[in-house]
Amino acid sequence: MKTAAIGPVIRCEKLTKRFGAFTAVDAISFAVAPGEIFGFLGANGAGKTTAMRMLCGLLGPTEGAASVAGFDVFTQAERIKQHIGYMSQKFSLYEDLTVRENIRFYGGIYGLKTAAIREKTDALLQRLGLEAERNTLVGSLPLGWKQKLAFSVALFHDPAVVFLDEPTGGVDPITRRQFWDLIYEAAARGVTVFITTHYMDEAEYCDRVSIMVDGKIEALDKPAGLKQQFGVSTMDEVFLHLARGAKNVE
Amino acid sequence: MRTVWFLIEKEVRQLRRNRTLLALLLVAPIMQLVLLSFAANYEIKNLNLAVVDQDHSPAARRLLDKFQYTPYFRLVQVRPSSAAADQDLLSGRADLVLVFPPRFERDLVRGGQARVQLLVNALDNVKAGLASSYASSIVQAYQGEVRPATVAAAVGEVRGLEVVPAYWYNPLLNYKTFMVPGILVEIISLIVMMVTTLNIVREKEIGTIEQLNVTPIRKWQFILGKLLPFWVAGLYQFTIGLLLARFLFHVPMVGSVALLYGIMAVFLVVPLGLGLLISSASQTQQQALFVAFFFLIIFILLCGLFTPIEYMPAWARAFDRVNPLVYIIDIARRILLKGSTLRDVLQPVLTLLGMAVLVNALAVWRYRKTSG
Repeated sequence: MKTAAIGPVIRCEKLTKRFGAFTAVDAISFAVAPGEIFGFLGANGAGKTTAMRMLCGLLGPTEGAASVAGFDVFTQAERIKQHIGYMSQKFSLYEDLTVRENIRFYGGIYGLKTAAIREKTDALLQRLGLEAERNTLVGSLPLGWKQKLAFSVALFHDPAVVFLDEPTGGVDPITRRQFWDLIYEAAARGVTVFITTHYMDEAEYCDRVSIMVDGKIEALDKPAGLKQQFGVSTMDEVFLHLARGAKNVE
Repeated sequence: MRTVWFLIEKEVRQLRRNRTLLALLLVAPIMQLVLLSFAANYEIKNLNLAVVDQDHSPAARRLLDKFQYTPYFRLVQVRPSSAAADQDLLSGRADLVLVFPPRFERDLVRGGQARVQLLVNALDNVKAGLASSYASSIVQAYQGEVRPATVAAAVGEVRGLEVVPAYWYNPLLNYKTFMVPGILVEIISLIVMMVTTLNIVREKEIGTIEQLNVTPIRKWQFILGKLLPFWVAGLYQFTIGLLLARFLFHVPMVGSVALLYGIMAVFLVVPLGLGLLISSASQTQQQALFVAFFFLIIFILLCGLFTPIEYMPAWARAFDRVNPLVYIIDIARRILLKGSTLRDVLQPVLTLLGMAVLVNALAVWRYRKTSG
């Protein structure tokens, strides 16, 4: 896990994205430490995905400053990409390739050696319990398995940070629980996890949580701290308290 | 290059599992070449002929026989008057009407200045042109036969200049020799361009492109990885097409087939790159398809295969300077039929090379890993 700088692995200073007159992300500032699980919450349309896409180098920011893994979001977007993993809310492995072929492809694109790919593939399949499915087309796997596989592929090249955009949408509670086991494993290895979610129980699992409303970060603290701050007993209530004031709700 | 290889491997695997696309790439062009080459015929047989004979002479009868001896005409009606024959043209029973005026034989024997009238249905102007030229040559040949040499001598007429055409490079004016190489490159261009046109934008629709865009893959690697598999498919199609041209259509191959191959390898990069450019600029497959059709139809209809470029107005000829099909069809014909060497076709080859570089540079430039 090479990072160019010691200190926060993600750092935003007044990062802003405007589409014409609409400000999707409004001068957000925060820092995420290595190995942290950082929850990025907000109602639909609050600007979470836009902010995440800027940090991944998929979307050019308008102003402010941000760095990921020590590389500048404005000028070194392509350098960032070698050091991050990304899993979008839209499932995006190739359904017409087998499990093994998908892993091999992404391993290859990230420049892993053939022998390393083979070794890591075996280890990964064993960890996921997917050994019997190695030659199954990804399209015919159940959704929960696909999500776990997509997460593992996003981590295959040992990135410093992994960005997860609503990774557990539409999967059952048991699978979600298993998915979070994978997240904890990754964080324990030192991978920074940046995750958006709509499930408030998942928010509780995060080390720190930020809540976005109308493009701004309205709250940022440990789950316990947030509950204390708003004088409520669940993250649900914290979220409702903040999101109710929003203008841009879908 | 290793990254490119992984991309190629992935494309080939996906292709192998997509039976329809595979059939379209490997079998369809062969079928199309065979069907279109047999159908694209500039020879017309069995034209329906109506005759108005107001002379009733042996001379008229003999000329009529000559028409019937050829495979081009079939006598369907003999009418007493032009008016009745006009009805035949109108109703479509006849394609052309041959009118023998009264005193046809007498004029022929006396002065050699006999006239027949030919009425041709010119709704289809290609057919009309061929019908009248076939008919004229029969009439002229007949005139030469019956006119006694003595008559010509007596009136002191100098025997008219006769043009004897020698058709070089395609001595039998075999239309297949002319058409097959053109149809072949046209079909291949169409298919490879469609395949690449739909490729990138399909990944956009499914969402897999985003996963690729967060990887450190370089833009040129991406485009090259998308191009090479279909470039090989195009060369495969060309190989089969050449074999068919040689052994089924007996197209002569005077020049170097290896040279033509090399040039084809350069040419293919043009439609492939254009497809990739359209694909990376489009948001949906439907959009991409319509843009590609827009270009393909113009390229194909103006490429000179169906209308000689020399007949086209100046603006169309100007456009054809950037029509890659014009260059490759010209090169293919020149090498196959005429035996042209690289030096002979260097100019169009360099033009194609320039187009290939330009179009693909644009495709790389237009492919965006970052939006906004």
